[in-house]
Order: sequence, then structure tokens, then C-alpha cells
Amino acid sequence: MPDLDAARGELEEALGADAVLSDPLALRLYARDASMVEGSAGLVVFPTSTDDVVACVRAAAAHGLDVVPRGSGTGLTGASTPIGDALVVVTSKMNRILQVRTEDRLAWVEPGLFNLDLGLALRGTGFTYMPDPSSQQVSSIGGNVATNAGGPHCLAYGVTSAHVLALDVVLCDGTMARVGSEGPEAAGYDLRGVIVGSEGTVGLVTAACVRLTPEPPAIRTMLMGFAKVEDCAATVSAIIAGGVVPAALEMMDQGIVRAVEAFAHAGYPTDDAAVLLVEVDGIASAVEAEAVEVEEAARTHGVGSIRVAESPEERALLWKGRKSAFGAIAQIAPHYHLHDCVVPRTKLVEVLTGVYAICRREGITVTNVFHAGDGNLHPLLSFDRGDPGVLERVLRSSEEIVRLCVDAGGSLSGEHGIGLEKRDFMPLVFTEDDLAAQACVRSAFDPSGRMNPQKVLPDGARCGDFAVAASATDATGVGDAAAAMPEGTWI
Amino acid sequence: MDLRSKGELRDALRAASERGTRVSIVGGGTHADRGNACEVDVELSTSGLDRVVAYDPAEMLAVVEAGMRVGDLRRILAEGGQEWPADATDAATVGGTIATAPSSPRRLRMGPIRDTVVEIELVTGDGRLVRSGARMVKSVAGFDVHRLATGSLGTLGAIVQVAVKVRPLPKARRVVRTSEGGLLAGRRVLEAVPLPSAVVATPERVEIALEGWPEEIEEQTAAIRRMTGDVEILEDEGVGGSEAVAGTTVVEVAVPPSKLEAVLEGELAWRALMGVGIAWVGLPDAGNRLSALRGRVAEAGGIAPVIRGPGGLGDAPVPALEVHRRLKAAFDPAGILAPGRFWGGL
Repeated sequence: MPDLDAARGELEEALGADAVLSDPLALRLYARDASMVEGSAGLVVFPTSTDDVVACVRAAAAHGLDVVPRGSGTGLTGASTPIGDALVVVTSKMNRILQVRTEDRLAWVEPGLFNLDLGLALRGTGFTYMPDPSSQQVSSIGGNVATNAGGPHCLAYGVTSAHVLALDVVLCDGTMARVGSEGPEAAGYDLRGVIVGSEGTVGLVTAACVRLTPEPPAIRTMLMGFAKVEDCAATVSAIIAGGVVPAALEMMDQGIVRAVEAFAHAGYPTDDAAVLLVEVDGIASAVEAEAVEVEEAARTHGVGSIRVAESPEERALLWKGRKSAFGAIAQIAPHYHLHDCVVPRTKLVEVLTGVYAICRREGITVTNVFHAGDGNLHPLLSFDRGDPGVLERVLRSSEEIVRLCVDAGGSLSGEHGIGLEKRDFMPLVFTEDDLAAQACVRSAFDPSGRMNPQKVLPDGARCGDFAVAASATDATGVGDAAAAMPEGTWI
Repeated sequence: MDLRSKGELRDALRAASERGTRVSIVGGGTHADRGNACEVDVELSTSGLDRVVAYDPAEMLAVVEAGMRVGDLRRILAEGGQEWPADATDAATVGGTIATAPSSPRRLRMGPIRDTVVEIELVTGDGRLVRSGARMVKSVAGFDVHRLATGSLGTLGAIVQVAVKVRPLPKARRVVRTSEGGLLAGRRVLEAVPLPSAVVATPERVEIALEGWPEEIEEQTAAIRRMTGDVEILEDEGVGGSEAVAGTTVVEVAVPPSKLEAVLEGELAWRALMGVGIAWVGLPDAGNRLSALRGRVAEAGGIAPVIRGPGGLGDAPVPALEVHRRLKAAFDPAGILAPGRFWGGL
């Protein structure tokens, strides 16, 4: 049993009384992230330094608490939802930019720094940090690392993993390690690559060395309206088939466009069935040539309107429309459940049609905004929790959507992760041996099984099932701990 | 031993684990000098596993068996107007290239090989088949075993199948050579020319790889001319990599880009990837000069494995060595896969 009182005493001594919260309101606030999963926090701490984080991990180990790292709490899968009175380590006060070294094309930042604040700080340097999740105004770099976050510009520039050079991590025993390197290669296995996307289950990141990318000299942003969803999707395929990889290729259906337009007033065409936001960047003459190809592809597939951003302000407005989608949907209904699946680009229309059919059958309002270039769908189910029986219908629709995507050859998540919400779907895409190997990776980092347990892997995935000769057979604790999810935790 | 199927490979590794037979997984043998010297009892070749599993240019992904030659993949992708920007030699296998993760000379623009690898099927030391990742350009689903396998020098398992991200072939390409060499000249080019694919500095000249639309290549070439004037232009050529460095011993130095001057001080034969921090350094042997180079690289916080000739990986410290040991024990419980070849004696 965790000894919360002893842990609190030790942490207050190490971090100061102000840095430790245990009142019922705070515990309630930090009992969930932006997903629908509710858990229970034992203590909430706000470290301000690596030493503080080490003290947190040591205190948790000494007093039997699990450790749940948390950035801004914008995660959508329950990955930072504490279960069973865990110690929630909130990184939001570790939000400094430690170094910007354009000569090495890197910056060192603390995990609580907002993604957008790094971008703002880099203005005027000629370099930028490319990953731009739509939540970038409030999501933290640490959280982006934990989920291997994407964003519209990952089509051409790659997801977060491609932009993280090194990480300082505190492991479960309180030891520190710097994985990866400021240089292009590092000694050893690519632990950096495993930690990115591990959803806080293998250690606590206390600093991230991120790669800076030269700003493209020219950018062109185009908004296109289509009377048919199929034509919009066909345009996406035609652009790629023509050998052009735009910086971003984002699709929105009519439902989301109408919600966004009422909110952002970006001038999106509300009468069209779908709109496509395309951005090409690079050297001015190449941008010119690619824009011509993109427009030709769209005209071949029946585009209704093409609007080109004529100024940086207009470009910002067009992007505001896209990036405020999730703020805008509050007009549709008070609650939402946001999906995240990836399917082969060629299956976009088929899967989208299926999503509409599922939600129509269950009587749930669905709107769609997605990274079409990546095949990354984000069906957004809107509802009012007060409606009787609505949660069951939402959950049933969600599961059907997941199965639909997997049946189309897709993956469970493109950029939000697995967390608690999707861990029981993992056997849909992985075999027992695959999952056992993953459990081995996890327990290699965390033999104590104390770092954000119950997340990512489903019940029963144990390293011990995989390699009996391996040393850390019973060390994961994943299966049993997961079985002990408290009543009232709902997904 | 030449294997024709994943099943045969699984059987062979299971048997080797049971008997304690030490095994080296071999692809095209073109990167054999990478890693520390190690003794094995048998070599298992994956080159019989050479099928295309799935390739649809519209998906910008290719799924192939690991023994496929890079040259064969190059031809197949070219028919779809695409390429895998690893730039390994034609005789290398795709699996071997991923297991050894050499740097492309175009790494400035294309990134490291690891960013192209989205899915791997791995046969572990005890013969289990493990798949990790997804056949998608992006996926966050579970722990990324494929990240560990990439660059693991065959010490965690045999890569038997991979899905890699591919990209459109450039519409045009050109190499521009300046007549002035050195790192300072390389740095000036890097600052003056927008978005080159490579800026390779050598003691004699700077070679700049340009690719894309013909008009942007002209624009970039004009920028180079403005700063140096006297240039040589090679149309439709790619830029050379480590093979272009003379020396019986070639080291792949990896340091933060600003440290290149400090580590290359006094060296005579090298090619440095500006903005990346990779430098291939040619040495007459693996003796004192290698030790001295490694000393400077260690001070710069980098690594300096030998990629041609003897000399191994060097003795750079391995972070979280205990984690490495537990990973090795889990994936190769009998310790039969090229024991000692990897960093940290793994």
C-alpha cells in the first residue's frame, strides 16, 4: 500500500511545501487529462529542477507510489491519468529554454515548455522547431515527446521523433541518463527513439535537445473547396502521385468547417462538402512550380474554389481555421470524443464513408478534420453526457471506428498514443509475441513497474512470457496492476 | 548458411540458441567492418529473403524482405518515380543497411535512415518473430522495437522484413563543386545557399548537392556563384559519401556540427557533412592517429566508429548501460548474436 503521508512529508522537505498538493480539489483536478478517463491522484507535485524530479522518483519508490508524469494535461488517451493514488509529477514549472545553438541546429528545453513558445522564441533566428500539433499553444514539449506528437507539418518534416536529438531522463531508480546525442549519432541502442512515444512509462524527461530546421524561404498556403468528399480525397492522392509532397495537406468536412467558420471567421467555404488546406514551402521558384501542380490536380478533380493566402496575416487566418477546430466544436455539443487512427492514404474515402455510417446508426454527431497527407483521421464525436444512454453509443461507435481502421490496414494511433483508452485494442494489431517483446522493452527501462503502469500495454502482456531466460521476468507488474483498475474508471 | 524463408531463419536461430552456437547475421557484407571484432561459429545470410511484400507509390511506403539488395529496391522504386534516400551501395541489403545505419551524404536534407524505418519484423536470438511499428507514415502504438533494431548491428535479432518511407525522385539534380576547400568555405556555402541536399566539405573543395525543380537548382547555383565565382557543375550526378575517402581505415565521426573544426584539426583526408556533424576521416591505419582522433571526438561529445578496416566502435561511454544489458538479455537470451560486436561489449 502506498504511504501517502510519508511521501508527502519527504517531498515537502525536498521541494518545499508549496510544490506539493494534496487537497481534495487538486487531487480531483489532476485525476484526469483531456480524455474521458477519470482516475485518482494520491499527491500532485510541481518540480522545478532535475534534482526535484529525482527526489520525486526516489520518494515514490520509497513509499510505494506509482509515478505519473504530466505536462499540460492535453493528452487525449488517459496516458497521464493517475490510477490508484499515484504521484502525479507535473512538469509545467520546468518550462525554460536552456540553450539555443543555431550553429549546431539544436535547442535544449525543459519539458514543461509550451510547443508554441519555443517557436516564438526562435523567431528571427532563421530556424524553427517543425512539429506543430494543433494543441501547440498549450501542449508541452515533454508531452509532445511522450506521444511522439504530429501536427499538420509532419507530412513533409516528420513527427516529433525526427526532431528530438537527445533526452535527459530520470529512470525509475532515480539515476540520470542522457540518451541520444547533440551530434548526429550516439553510442548504444536508440533508447532515445524508444522513449519518444513511450507515454511516460519508461522514465521522466527533464530536458529535451530538439533539432532546429531552417525556415523555408517561401511558403504558399491554399484553401480549396470541393462539392464532393471523394473529389477532395482524390486530389490528395493526385498531388502525392504527381511527385509533390506538400508541407501540409489537411482535409476538413462540412460539419467541422461550419463550426470553425462560426468561431474563427476565416472565410472557409461553408457550402462545400469538404475543404483542403494545402501548404507548399521551399525555394520561391519551387513553391511556384508546386503550387501550379497542386492547383492542376485539384482542377482535374472538380475543385469548386481555390483561395491563395496573399499575406502572412491571411495565411495565419487560414491556419487559425484549421487549428481551432477542436475549440470550435463546443458549439455542436458540450462533450466530445476525439479519435485518432491512421489508414493507408488510398483508403481514406472508404474509411470516412464507414465512419459516417457508424455514427448515423448510433445517432452520434460526427465531424472530421484530418491530416489527409498522412492518412491520419480524427473523427470527432460530439454529444451531451446528460443524454441517457449516449455514452454507451459513443463507446460503441468508437470501438467500431477503431475496428474499421484496423480492418483497412491501419494503425491504432497516429499521434495521440494508446494510453488507457486504446490499450485493450493493442491485440488487434499485435501478436502475443509482439506485445511480450514490447513488455520486455518497457521492463528493461523500468524493472520496478512503477513508471506510469497500466498504460499502453493490455492486460497480460508480460515480458516473462517472451523470454524465460531473460533476467527481468516478473518485473513488469503490468498485468496484475492493470486488472486492479478501480471501479468507476471508464473509457 | 543461406536461408530462403523467415521460418528457416527462425528454426536456425532457435537451434543456435539451444546449442549456444554463435551467429552473425549477414546481408550483402558491405558494412562488415562496422562494429567491434567478434568471433562467431556460423554466418546466416538473409540474402535469400528478397521479395517485395507491398509497394504502392501512392502510399509512399515500400515493404520488402530484408535481404533485398539496395540496387534492386532502387530500380523497383524508380519505376514508381520514387527513391529510398539511404544512399547505400547497390550490393548492400536493405536489412543490412538498416542494421548498420550508415549516414547518407544527403543527410542534411533527407535525415537519418532511422527516420525512414516505420516497421520491422525481427527474428530474435531465440527464434521468435516480432513485428514493431506500422505500415503507415506515422504511428504511435506501443514500444518501438524497430527503433532498437535500427543500428543494432544484428545484436538483438535478425531483421527479416521492413517498411520504409520513400519519397519522390527529384525532377533534376546537380552537384556543384567549388575550387576552395575547408570547413570555413563549407560553412559559408551552408549559410549562403538555401535548402541544399548536401554541403560536403573536403580539404580541396566544397561539393554541394542540389535537387528538385530545375528552376530552384538554378536559383541555388546562382547563390553559390555569387559567393565563390569559379565552380564546376556536374549535371545529374549525386554527391559521394564515405566511399570517396581514401585510406585503409575510415572513421565515421559524429559530433555537433560546430565541433568539426576541433576534431578535424591536423587531419588530411576527410569529407565533412556541413550542418550535420558527420565527417568521414581516412587514416593510414588504426594506430595512434585513430586514438588521437578519438580523443578529440570524445572531448567534443561525439563518437568515432571505424567503418572501413579494423578499429571497431571505440570506447565512448554508453548511457544507461544496464538498460542495454536487459534489452540484450530479453532479445538474445542465449547471447549468441555476434557477442561483443556492439557498444558496451554487447
